[in-house]
Formats: sequence, C-alpha cells, structure tokens
Amino acid sequence: MLIVSYRAQRTAGVYWQNAAETWVDIQTSETNVVSSLVNFVSGSQKTPPPAAHFMSESGIVDAFIMLGPKPMDAFKQYAALTGTHELPQLFALAYHQSRWNYNDERDVTSVSAKFDEYNIPMDTMWLDIEYTDGKRYFTWDKFKFPHPLAMIKNLTELGRHLVVIVDPHIKRDNNYFFHRDCTDRGYYVKTREGNDYEGWCWPGAASYPDFFNPVVREYYASQYALDKFQTVTADVMLWNDMNEPSVFNGPEITAPKDLIHFGNWEHRDVHNLYGHMHLMGSFAGLQQRDPNQRPFILTRAHFAGSQRYAAIWTGDNFADWSHLQHSVKMCLTEAVAGFSFCGADVGAFFGNPDTELLERWYQAGAFLPFFRAHAHIDTKRREPWLFPERTRQVIQNAVIKRYSYLPLWYTAFYELELTGEPVIRPLLAHYPLDKEAFGVDSQLLVQDRLLVRPVMQQGVSKVDVYFPAIDDKKNSDWWYDVDTYQRQERSGYVSVPVDDFKIPVWQRGGSIVPKKERQRRASTLMLHDPYTLIICLDRQGKAAGSLYLDDEKSYAYRQGQRIHVNYEFAHDQLVNSFVGKPKYKTLAWIERIVIAGLEKVPSSASITVNGVSQQLEVLQHDNTVVVRKPGVKMDVDFAIKLNFA
Amino acid sequence: MQSLQLRQMVLMPLLLALVAPNAGAASEVPRPLGVPLAKASLYQPRAGEDSWTCLDGSRTIPFSHINDDYCDCADGSDEPGTAACPQGQFHCVNKGHQPVNIPSSQVQDGICDCCDGSDESGTVGCPNTCLELGAAAAVQRRNAAELHKRGAERRQEMISRGKQMKAEREARRLELDQRRKEQELLRAEKEQLKQNAEALEAEAIEIFKEQQREVDADTAQAEREPQQMRQEASLTFVRYDTNKDGFVEVTELMVDMNLDRDRNGVVTVEEAKYFLDERERVDLDAFVTLAWPRIKSLQMLAEGLFQPPQPEEVAQQAEVTTEAIQPTPPKLSEEQAELAGDDDIEADEEGEEDQYDDEEPDVGVGEASPDVEDATPPNYDPETQRLIQQANEARNALEEVERSLREIQQEVNEIEEQNNKGYGLTEEWAVHDGQCYNFEDREYVYTLCPFDRASQKSRSGGPETTLGRWDKWSGEPKQYSQQKYTNGAACWNGPNRSAIINISCALEPKVTAVSEPNRCEYYFEFETPAACDSEAYQSESENLHDEL
Repeated sequence: MLIVSYRAQRTAGVYWQNAAETWVDIQTSETNVVSSLVNFVSGSQKTPPPAAHFMSESGIVDAFIMLGPKPMDAFKQYAALTGTHELPQLFALAYHQSRWNYNDERDVTSVSAKFDEYNIPMDTMWLDIEYTDGKRYFTWDKFKFPHPLAMIKNLTELGRHLVVIVDPHIKRDNNYFFHRDCTDRGYYVKTREGNDYEGWCWPGAASYPDFFNPVVREYYASQYALDKFQTVTADVMLWNDMNEPSVFNGPEITAPKDLIHFGNWEHRDVHNLYGHMHLMGSFAGLQQRDPNQRPFILTRAHFAGSQRYAAIWTGDNFADWSHLQHSVKMCLTEAVAGFSFCGADVGAFFGNPDTELLERWYQAGAFLPFFRAHAHIDTKRREPWLFPERTRQVIQNAVIKRYSYLPLWYTAFYELELTGEPVIRPLLAHYPLDKEAFGVDSQLLVQDRLLVRPVMQQGVSKVDVYFPAIDDKKNSDWWYDVDTYQRQERSGYVSVPVDDFKIPVWQRGGSIVPKKERQRRASTLMLHDPYTLIICLDRQGKAAGSLYLDDEKSYAYRQGQRIHVNYEFAHDQLVNSFVGKPKYKTLAWIERIVIAGLEKVPSSASITVNGVSQQLEVLQHDNTVVVRKPGVKMDVDFAIKLNFA
Repeated sequence: MQSLQLRQMVLMPLLLALVAPNAGAASEVPRPLGVPLAKASLYQPRAGEDSWTCLDGSRTIPFSHINDDYCDCADGSDEPGTAACPQGQFHCVNKGHQPVNIPSSQVQDGICDCCDGSDESGTVGCPNTCLELGAAAAVQRRNAAELHKRGAERRQEMISRGKQMKAEREARRLELDQRRKEQELLRAEKEQLKQNAEALEAEAIEIFKEQQREVDADTAQAEREPQQMRQEASLTFVRYDTNKDGFVEVTELMVDMNLDRDRNGVVTVEEAKYFLDERERVDLDAFVTLAWPRIKSLQMLAEGLFQPPQPEEVAQQAEVTTEAIQPTPPKLSEEQAELAGDDDIEADEEGEEDQYDDEEPDVGVGEASPDVEDATPPNYDPETQRLIQQANEARNALEEVERSLREIQQEVNEIEEQNNKGYGLTEEWAVHDGQCYNFEDREYVYTLCPFDRASQKSRSGGPETTLGRWDKWSGEPKQYSQQKYTNGAACWNGPNRSAIINISCALEPKVTAVSEPNRCEYYFEFETPAACDSEAYQSESENLHDEL
C-alpha cells in the first residue's frame, strides 16, 4: 500500500508493506469532521495535516517513508524500494488484438489477415480460455486448434506474436497431467485440515498450486519449456488472469482465509501476494524457456514489486464513458506507484460500445502504455473493419499514431528501468508548484515530453485542456499541438476544438521526441526503419531529448548492445551525445528533422560528421521547418547547423 | 569515402528503380520500381529539365528524388518503390502470374509479398515464385472453369426445371382464378339458400321460444347480466340516498311506498330493515348485493315492467338458450379460419399443431351436431327440428364453398410467395425450395432448407433451434451469392439468431461448413450447381488477364 502526499513545497510517501486484507482511512482537512468540530469550538483556524490510518488484518508493522522532496523523487524512491519494469520487447508496447475468444485457427489467421487487408498495424493476437482443452492449461482444444504451431507460424512470419492465457486454477481431472503431478506431489494449497483445497472456477472443480513454495514455482516454470509445452514457440507470451485467486464459490469470490500455504502461512496473511508468486513462476518459466527473449506477461493480480514481472490491465470494464475516463485515472495511479505498464480494455470488456465510444477509446488507449482491445464472449464482434469506413479510419489513424511514437515509448521504458521514473505521469510530477494541476486526472504526460488529453466525453466538439504553470506566477512552458504545431504559451484552461479524428496531444517546448513515421503491419518490422526527430523549441530557442534503441527483443542490451543518445538543440544547431558507447549495430538512420518554434526560416542546413560537411535541403511545412534526409546513422556523432542567408 | 558514415542515398532501391530488369516486352517499359505500366509515362523528367512534378501537382522536385527513400509528395507519388510515403502503393509486376498493388507499408519490411520478390531488396532473398504460382493458378483456373462448365450444365437442368415449375405455378394460378370465380358464384347462391332456410328456422324457433319463455321467465330474470343490475341498483341507490352521505338508511327507505309490503299504508322500520338485510344503513356495494335483489321486484312491479319482459331481453335470452344448436355465426368462423391460416404459414416448427388448428373451425363451423352440445338441448317439436336441420344443411353448404374459397386463396398466396422469393435470374434456385441440407460438426447437426429456414440441433438430442427464417438475397455486388435468414430463436441475453449463407459453385448441393464467428450469427457455406456460371466466370478471369 503506497500513499504519496503532495504539497507545493514538499512531497512525501509512505509504503505500508503488508499482504493481508488492509484498510486505509484517509483524513484530509475537508473530510475530518472531528478536527473541524474542534476548530469550530476552539475558534482555531489551524487545520491539521492530512493523515492516513492503516489497518491490516494480520502481520507486522512494516512501513517505509519516502521523503521526496519533489514528487518525482518520491516516485523514484519507491521504485528503488520495490523495483521497476524490465524493458519490454517493443512488440509489447504496440497494438494488441484480443477477444474472448478467437474461436479457432481460421479465425485467428483471418483476423490477422484482415488487419493487413485494411492496412492497420497490429502486433499481437490473443487467445482467451477457450483455446484450451476444457480449461486445462498447457493443452489445446484439438478440434478448434488442431495445428497450433502452424497457426503461430502464420503470425510470426508476419512479425506478429501470440499471447495465450494461462490461469492458476487447475482442473481437477485425474487424466490431466498437471493435476496429477500437483496431487501426487502435494503442490496444492491446503485446507485447514491439510487436504487439497477445492474451489470452483472456469474448469469446474479446481485446485490452486501453492506458488509460495519455491519447488512449486520451479515445477510451474519448467512446464513452459518447449520440450514440455510443445504446442507453442518461444514467441508465444503469457496472460495470467484470475490470479487473486478467483474462486467462484469462495468468500468474496476468492480463497478462504484459513487455507494453509507453504511455510504454514494462513491465506489471510499472504492473500495479496498470491498473484505475485504466480507471476514469479511464470516469469522464471519464460526466461528459462528462452534466455534470449524478454518475457511478456499480462497479469490481473499484482502486489508492490510485481512490475518487475508483468504488465497489468484495469480489469473487466464496461462500455460506458465513465469507464473510459477511469482508465486514465487508474493507470496514472498505478504509474506513480511503480506500475507504468498499464492499460484498459479498449472498447471495454462488457457491453457493446457505439462507434463514437469505440473511436475515442482507441484514441485514449493509443496513449496509455499497454494498448489492447479486448471484449467479452457475449459482445458483438468489433474488429475495426466491422464498422463504417469512417470509424475504421479513425481507429486506423489512432493505431498508426501509436506506432509512430513507439521510439518514445520504448525510450521511456528504458529510462524507467534505469531511473524508476514513471513512463506516464500526472501533471503534478513536473509541475509541483501549480496547485491547480494536482487534481487534473483527465490528462497525462508521457515522460515530460507529451501532454495528452484524450476526448472522453460523448458528442463534444471541444475539450478543456489544462496547461500547467511552472511556478506560482502562472508562467508556463510552451506546448505545440503535435498535428498542427500551433503553440500554447500560457497556463490555465484552454478550450480546444476536436473533430472525430483529433487526439489532443501537445509536445513540450524544449523537448525533442523521436518518432518513426513509416507505417508497417507490425512493430517488429520497423526495426530498421529511419527515425524522425521532432524538435519543439522553448522560449530560449532550445530543446533536448533522448532516444534509446537496441534489438527490441533480447537481453543483449544489458551487455552493452544498445544506443542511448541525447539530442540537444541550441543556437540553431543540433548535436548528439551518447550515453556510454553506442554498441548496438543498426541499419536505422535519421530520415528527417522537424523543428517547430524557429523565428526565421533557414535557407539550408549542413551536417558535419567526422569533420566532413554536407549540405541538406530545408523545407517549410505548416508551422515547422523540415530538414530533409540527414541520412546519418544512429550510432554516429554529428552536428546539424541551420544556415540563414 | 567521405560519406562512409553518412548513409548512401539508399543506393539499392534506387538502382533497381531506374534500371528495369529486361527491356523488351511491352510490360517491361523502363520505369521506376513499383510503377504500374499504365502510369509509366507519368514518370518522365520535364523536357529539358531534371525535374518532375508530383502527380497531385503539389510540388516539383528533382527527378532524382523519385524513389530516393524520402517522401516528398503529399500523395506519395514520388516513392512508388519504397516504404517512405505513408499511404503509397507499390505495384508488383509479377511476370508469369497476376500483378498486384500492395500498400507501401509492406515494401522493404523483410516479408516477401510480391511473388517476383520486387518488394524486397536482395538482402532478404525473396525467391521469384511467380512462374510456379502462375502455373498453379492456371491449373486452378482451369479446374474452376471446368467445374463451372460442368456445374453450368446441371444448372441448366435446374433452370429448365425451375422454369417449368414457374410455368406450372402460373397455369395453376390461372386455374385457381377460374375456380375462384365459379366458387364465388356458388357462394352467392348458397348464401341465398341459407338466408331462406334461416328465416324459416328463426321463425320456428321464435314460436317455440315464445312458448318456453313463460316457463323460463324466472330463470331469465335471475340470469340478467350483473352489470346491468348494478347499474340499475346504483341509480336507485342515488335516488334513495337523499342526504347524499353515501349510505342508504332505514329512514330513507321509509318514504318509498312501494316498499309497503303488507300494504298497510306505512313503510315501517321493520319493513325497511328487511330490505337492508336487517341493517340500519348500507353503502353502495352492500346495497347492490343485499338490498337491490329485494327491492327490485317491487319496484318493477310498481313500474309495470315486471309482467311483460323487455323485447331485447327476450332476444338475448333466445340466443343464449339456442346457442347449442345454432352454428357459430359465419363472421366469427371466418376469423377463426384466418387465424388458422396464419398459423399455417408460421407454425412450421410446430407442424403437428397446425393440423389441430385447421380442424377446430371445421368442427365448430361445419356441423352444428348434437354431439357438441354441452347443455341439454331444448326439446324442439319435430317440425322445428326439421327446419333447423334444413338450415344447418344450408349453412354447411355455404361454409363448404367458403372453405373452398379460402383454400384457393391460400394456394394463390403460396404461389405469390414463391414468385416473390426470387429464385434467381433464371429460376435456377426454384428446385432448392422445399429441399433441406444437413451439415454435422462435433456438437451439432445444422440444417439449411433454402427459402425456408436454417436450424441447429444438438447431436445429443433435444429440440431444434431455429437460426433464422428466410429473409432475402443479400449478396454484394452479386445478389445471388448470399442469402440471409433472420429472426431465429432469441439468444439468451442477446439478439435473435440469424444466418448468412455464402454460396459457391459445385456439382452437388451441399453445406460444407458452418461457423458462428459472432455470437448468434451463423455462417453457412453452401455449394450448389445453381451458382455455377460459366460465362460469368470466364469474363471475370478474362478481366484478370487484361491487367497483365
């Protein structure tokens, strides 16, 4: 349990480490009736500081104080305590297509083909529980999926991935190897009397492996080895759902508190850790299966520190506008609590969104870290081409936009692993002196470079956007609309017009954002594509920003096979400087440089590499200046100077 | 040398672009990579200049910027052979097979999309598979053409059968029209006979009733409608309730001399109380149920209404008592017949039930026979009985004609319906109407009865579930390539089931697959010679060849 308290001058946090059922009373000066009563009686004007009261059912008091003093300091201090995400494979940051359920092999292959037919990028197809043989994980329904390896190959040949669901409940069936092993070896969670606990979940009667036991985790991990789970490949990743654990007939739909875990812990003591221990087993399994690939796991249950193993989504949401709004609030909350890799089911799990809600959901989802469309089995099919052309185009547009910013997302996740700084951030993370910014939860920052205000109301032609102040005098950064490069120069609310296609996003003046503007059918096929640098100048005519790249897949980056580079623009000149040696070999190059905020249009530019200079063409485009085709590779020092006639 | 670290201007695609592999045939006119033959002439430098204008006219750029892996034109026309422009198109020549356009997003992405490998540079090593694919496609086309040809022969049979059926329907329709005319004349005649017989019957019954009436008078009184009684009672209540307090008191009754039962000139408290069921006062409800029955007869007596019962009452009475031997009025029977007829159309699923539906009105209408009677039949004198018998016969005769007319109408409707279903451009689908085709998968047996319904039944038994009833042809752009069945059984928590039938050519009619990609929306793959069209197929494949 993490609580962070903000003041303009000081931010502090407390992390209460306890896995039992825990209640927290939060008292602020507005809600504290007693104190306001006391003040009324005593005539005092002094308001007591806000307070939090933690109550855990069992365990010891184990609390950590984070002293800040700035919000980002507190976030980083918490990350230092509980860990950060590993840099995910790039595909995990791209678009995911899920549904409960893609019915059979043909369905999977044809949905994948349709994305190509309609030229909409898509990286990952997902299979929910129906792919299994009667909800026995590690098996396939032989009728609907007789040739899983061929189906997987169809996807991976196009640069795509498959994610399959593997839940922790185990079907109690003596012909099921996993159940036999767990029964024979005593791997299941026990009742108070010492018997295997039996609950009810998707497979019917089910038991739950005791992941608190390292031997069980090891056994579980070993099941992912390709010689055991032969019907998948190393490109098939994981979805761990229902790991709270969900027990349909249990108290509060979970496990009874008096169950006994490894080491004689009662379930009441460790309940909130069960999902985390499950993830540890899964993560180890994927790492052992292929030490060269970074695992990708999506989990529902998570504890402090689970970010080291998995991404999360916000659970089973409904197709209405308030749930769209909550997806941003929830992911911001998770992000400042160490869990940046967060998203909500685009289009919503339950219900059938109308076209407008679906469009807006895609647009919002495109700017949250985890971007997956998913739907309940009872909903109407909602792949983008099933809607009128205009809706399809809006969706295509949003997805393409997401892909164009993948270099930024990828860099942000690398820097998160490095520093603990959240990938998405509330305004207060960077504008702690602006009290009005504290309460803004419909906007988010991507690092400190983009400000995103998704449209999350029905039928609006404009949205109110809050541009935060950098001090207490209402001075603000400059913000450039990423579509038009129109500039906002003042803090406060601005009403911004939006059409169907518009995703209100601004780039901060003073920042440089790396993009890839070529469209591909999957992110993995963009590996060698050239970069575009978007330079938005601040009031001093300066800007800076970083880029990170590597093979987007393996752990080689930890052996130095990476390029981490800072770009700085000042005095009409762009230079790069590498953080460490740029050892990763890439074919990628810089295709164009877009500069917004120049006062004059340069006549040309010249690039200098190793003392050799070459002239570059400069074009004027909308409110920007474009340096055409510098053509320089990513691992080379260079300087580009703008020339004014 | 100097630009070792500067990227060479994307050398490879450029070379490929400007030097076409083999000059010679018309399809190999030199042109930049990714440009279709039809647009080759647009990719020429301006006369005397080394410049070129984007196809949308938006900009003029150096000719060398074409396919230099940088997007200069808003319409992407300067990069037909690279992935540089977002919405561009790449043309694969695919010599030996079919040319295709692919989105520029698939150019240089490491995946071989064109069979001639032209979308990827040499490093990927895409083999040229066009000749093999072309040969395979040719075989496939030949097979398909053969299939269509042989299928079309069967289709021809279906067409003649269909046309014959249509002719038969038309002939039958004419015949029915003729019969209808005859029957309508007959109906007029029978109607007249019936009216005559009924007049005699009514007269005889009236006389008989007249005699019976006196005997039954008391009973008749008792059977008066409660509604009417309440109305009368209420009026009287209001009249008695002189102080308007919602109650009739003893004192209020004492003023009505009609209630002087012992005729001593005074209505005593006791006398009044008798009428109020020995109470001091009663409200309206109690008055209606308790007081009014006692008061009414005295009042009627006083008003002189009691002796001769009202004429309407008599009529009502007559009907009630003669109901048993009187046939249901014709109007009613027609409604019933219509209802039964409607069921006929809709009740396929409960096929057994509509038999009963059919019979019910027949029994009720046809014979007013004694065995239907519940109540004891009045004991008519022989002459009356004879007249009733005659009237029954006349009614039955008319009813028979009317039934025959209904049957004619029904058949006419069926013919109309068949004509409106649309059995294809040349009636080739007509023979499928009335047929059913099954498909079994692991769990279900699916049935398609063209122009009627699609259904599903669990292999382990249980009732049949209707997936949809014939709705319409829904193919786009070829209307007769798809059928739609809608309004099937409702899904729990969901829509009514529906089915789409995709139709393709084969020698034997057969359902080859059923799927449910969307919950409660089923897709049938149906093959039939009716979809084999040799000419259409040939002209289509010729169109494809034209592009080469």
